[in-house]
Amino acid sequence: MLKKKNTTTTTLFNILRHTTPSVPKQHSPLTFSSHSNSHFLHKSLQSPPFSPKDRSFHNPTWFYSFGYLTFDGKRLYSKSAESVKERSSRCWNCHAVHESTAAAPFLVCDSCRCIQPVDDSVDYFEIFGLSKKYDLEGVNLEGKYKDWQKKLHPDLVHSKSQKERDFAAEQSARVIDAYRTLSKPLSRAIYMMKLDGVEVDEEQTISDPELLAEIMEIREEVEEATDSESLKQILSKMEENLKSWSNTFATAFQSRNFEEAQESIRRMTYYSRVIDEVVKKL
Amino acid sequence: MLRLAAKRLTAGTASFHAASPASSVAVGRRFYHERVVDHYNHPRNVGSFEKEEAGIGTGLVGAPACGDVMKLQIKVDEETGKIVDARFKTFGCGSAIASSSVATEWVKGKQMEEVLSIKNSEIAKHLSLPPVKLHCSMLAEDAIKAAVKDYESRRASANGNGKASP
Repeated sequence: MLKKKNTTTTTLFNILRHTTPSVPKQHSPLTFSSHSNSHFLHKSLQSPPFSPKDRSFHNPTWFYSFGYLTFDGKRLYSKSAESVKERSSRCWNCHAVHESTAAAPFLVCDSCRCIQPVDDSVDYFEIFGLSKKYDLEGVNLEGKYKDWQKKLHPDLVHSKSQKERDFAAEQSARVIDAYRTLSKPLSRAIYMMKLDGVEVDEEQTISDPELLAEIMEIREEVEEATDSESLKQILSKMEENLKSWSNTFATAFQSRNFEEAQESIRRMTYYSRVIDEVVKKL
Repeated sequence: MLRLAAKRLTAGTASFHAASPASSVAVGRRFYHERVVDHYNHPRNVGSFEKEEAGIGTGLVGAPACGDVMKLQIKVDEETGKIVDARFKTFGCGSAIASSSVATEWVKGKQMEEVLSIKNSEIAKHLSLPPVKLHCSMLAEDAIKAAVKDYESRRASANGNGKASP
């Protein structure tokens, strides 16, 4: 698959490079957001694979990767509302270049089936080929998770080298983390906020009397409840609350109202704790 | 001389290695300090004061990161300003329960102004809390302050109304 560099294509490349003025000389990362109103492309370019000599037969994709700058060479790339991270990486084993798209992150090489080292810039949504939305209705997360584990699980790579087995252990662990985080609404919400740079402050204490008094009352109720019937009632009420605050989070996050989003997460945390306690008791 | 120095070095490192397995085993495992376990198994001052009782201040605080709630109540002697009794109710981890339990023990018999200077670091040190649980002691400190504040505001409104405090 790898060819020797072709002088004509290199020259062509250089000509093209000079004629498209909007191509930035410096590869500065641009920020993106997953919402339809804003239209940026986030890209962190690694310099090594992008030196001209390596790109000899990949010219179209080099320009393709600059997103909304449509290049009428081999491909026309139209940007949809969902943003796509583009990056090119090389397999450490066979040196085939892999074009990662949102639907196919580079965890395993397609050509030689080698497991790749963990790339922390691939976030949990990308691992499962999902767009960064809170609502995951109709997504078969478990199916995708199992598919990945069939390729990455350490128990299935006995025949491979130690280096690859180590990669397998790391990748597999990361996929497990991703699955766990995304499968529960609360952890998914916290993760999405984290991706946008808003982290939960561990040290913070609140004194919202209304919320705290409510939670106190419910927790006391749970403690005093003796029969499973009343516990189940409390459980369903809590799950209801969780669902409604979950929706509030979705709306708040969508409109970038981080204050409200954090408040929603707070509520969801408290209700989740109550649910945990009830389940323990049942 | 070089050989002597090398021998000394190896002897030093040998003893170091002999010492480290024992300490690394202790450090490798995380465990609750015996004081925390004690407070958890034998809680002191759990409960609430009656709603109608006079001279009560209630501090209700929460840690949203982990979903903990802590209620700390103080009973204050009107004339002397001394805290005569305290109760707590905490829903949270063992460290949070122990922190609030310690808080109720420490505020008893002290003046209200005095307890405001109780620091979370003191509580944490007393219970040997690990770094991940330091926020529990912070919560206890905030609970004490909230209780005092609540008592003062009630007393102020009671004096303003000229009636007995609720």
